[in-house]
Amino acid sequence: MKTTSLYSTSGKLWKSIALTLPMFLLTFVFITGGKPDFSSSSAIFSFVVTFIFFNTLFFLMLYTGKTDRFRAIGFIAMALFFALVFIVNLVKMRGSMSFSNENLLSCEIPFCHIVTTMIIIPIVLTKSIIFPGSILTGFASIASMLVIVIGISLALGRGFCSWGCFYGGWDDGTSRILRRPVIKNVNPNWRWFSFAFLLIIALSAAITLTPTYCSWFCPFKTVTEYEKITNFDTLMKTIVFVSLFLSLVIILPVLTRKRIQCGTFCPMGALMSFTNKINPFEVTIDKEKCNDCKKCIRTCPTFSMVEPGLSKGRPEITCMKCGKCIDECSQNAISYHIRGTPSGKAFTAARTLFLYPAFTLLVVFAGGNIQYGIVLLIRFFSTGSFM
Amino acid sequence: MKKTLSIIGYIWAVLCLLLIPITFMGNNAFASMLAKLPFMKVNPIYSGGEVDRTVNHAGFKTTINKPVFEALIGESSKGFVQVKWTGDKMLPPIINDTIDYDNNGIRDFIIHIDTHTGKTELTPLDSHVLSLNISSKVKDSWLARINLLNPAK
Ligand code: SF4
Ligand code: SF4
Repeated sequence: MKTTSLYSTSGKLWKSIALTLPMFLLTFVFITGGKPDFSSSSAIFSFVVTFIFFNTLFFLMLYTGKTDRFRAIGFIAMALFFALVFIVNLVKMRGSMSFSNENLLSCEIPFCHIVTTMIIIPIVLTKSIIFPGSILTGFASIASMLVIVIGISLALGRGFCSWGCFYGGWDDGTSRILRRPVIKNVNPNWRWFSFAFLLIIALSAAITLTPTYCSWFCPFKTVTEYEKITNFDTLMKTIVFVSLFLSLVIILPVLTRKRIQCGTFCPMGALMSFTNKINPFEVTIDKEKCNDCKKCIRTCPTFSMVEPGLSKGRPEITCMKCGKCIDECSQNAISYHIRGTPSGKAFTAARTLFLYPAFTLLVVFAGGNIQYGIVLLIRFFSTGSFM
Repeated sequence: MKKTLSIIGYIWAVLCLLLIPITFMGNNAFASMLAKLPFMKVNPIYSGGEVDRTVNHAGFKTTINKPVFEALIGESSKGFVQVKWTGDKMLPPIINDTIDYDNNGIRDFIIHIDTHTGKTELTPLDSHVLSLNISSKVKDSWLARINLLNPAK
């Protein structure tokens, strides 16, 4: 039986509304980018829907005391709308989802955060960035994306993978499709594969001076952009991308109810795990309250909650701070915690201080895309075309 | 001590809370600062290297970059040179050019490009010139990279 909520906002209407008010301002600023566009009825409608959507999610998190179930709605919507908007923009700009030699030779490829894993060794040894992007101009420039990666790593650690990454919502979503897993008891040690893969990717990129993960392994090429198929090499790459997407992002998460791509494969996820060590927000387990039912171990979609962690009182370094284990624990033994502060106290302060930056990050990445995605959907349903 | 740690923890958490809006609102300013760091340049394998010289012809100009022999440490035994042709008004339908990529007064290769079809023929005149790497229209110019052997290796 669930004990009473840990949070003083839980079930308290006015307190929850009061704490949602700052989010009104943040959502307004970040959805509109500071420049509201109320030039058409569809623009106004999409803004109002997006604004209400995010503030309702945030309010419900406070009012119900549940984190993951509302986070996941926003996070999955972000992944779907990001793909829609990205693809439509590419088709508008280039006429297709594939990039050409011209785009490569003019260094116009948008820099994705996962490339960070491959540029570190070459930066040290060649003093340059091994990526065909622009340093400062255009969409997703290298400098602008690196600032974002550094800022988020310092602010949230690997919380990025449950609140900010515009790819993570894919396997977060597919892992929720079935109510019960078909494949049970997946060995949690698979999470270490992503660290081995990070090493392989970082070294292979350094030796070949090529972003090898982008060139050969990224499943999300399937829903963003890929090299135009012009020869056997590019055909092989496309087959690999689509196979990895189907297996790691769709089929295995559906069957296991785990985020297989993010929990076992993504090298950026592995790199971000280290940033959990330099971040004040963590998830802790109160061993006094824990009745050892192991529901959190079964629930954790990222293999971060394991038996040794339960006895240590904290999940593994790979924890993405999604809050799913916290929501599921019937003993209220798991909670967000701020390093240095006393355990077993000030649950509301710790959770609220974490939720503000985490949810703001979600709004920053998802807000504009959801808003514009709604405009695109309205256009599609009224004219039959996204263009 | 516990109280001090607790205060530090909360201050740290509040700073992180502020860091997210600051990162995004100040992104342009921070990115410009970051871009000034010495390592913030695209590797010549992707940028094509630094411009070495420009040769003017009737109706178009040829920009020859410095050869690129990038390796993680030192220089690679193989690399390429990037050459770009830009028309005064528009690209000529046929580009026929003889290039001395190392500027030693001796012609290194002849290149023939049909800019309508993209068909490119390379005739090496020097043993260090290997083959055509890529030939493509880029904005209002035509660009080719020619594979080379590193004479220093
Ligand atoms: S593991 Fe990789 S793809 Fe998944 S959320 Fe993290 S950075 Fe994104
Ligand atoms: S340990 Fe809990 S908060 Fe961390 S990833 Fe697993 S379910 Fe999410």
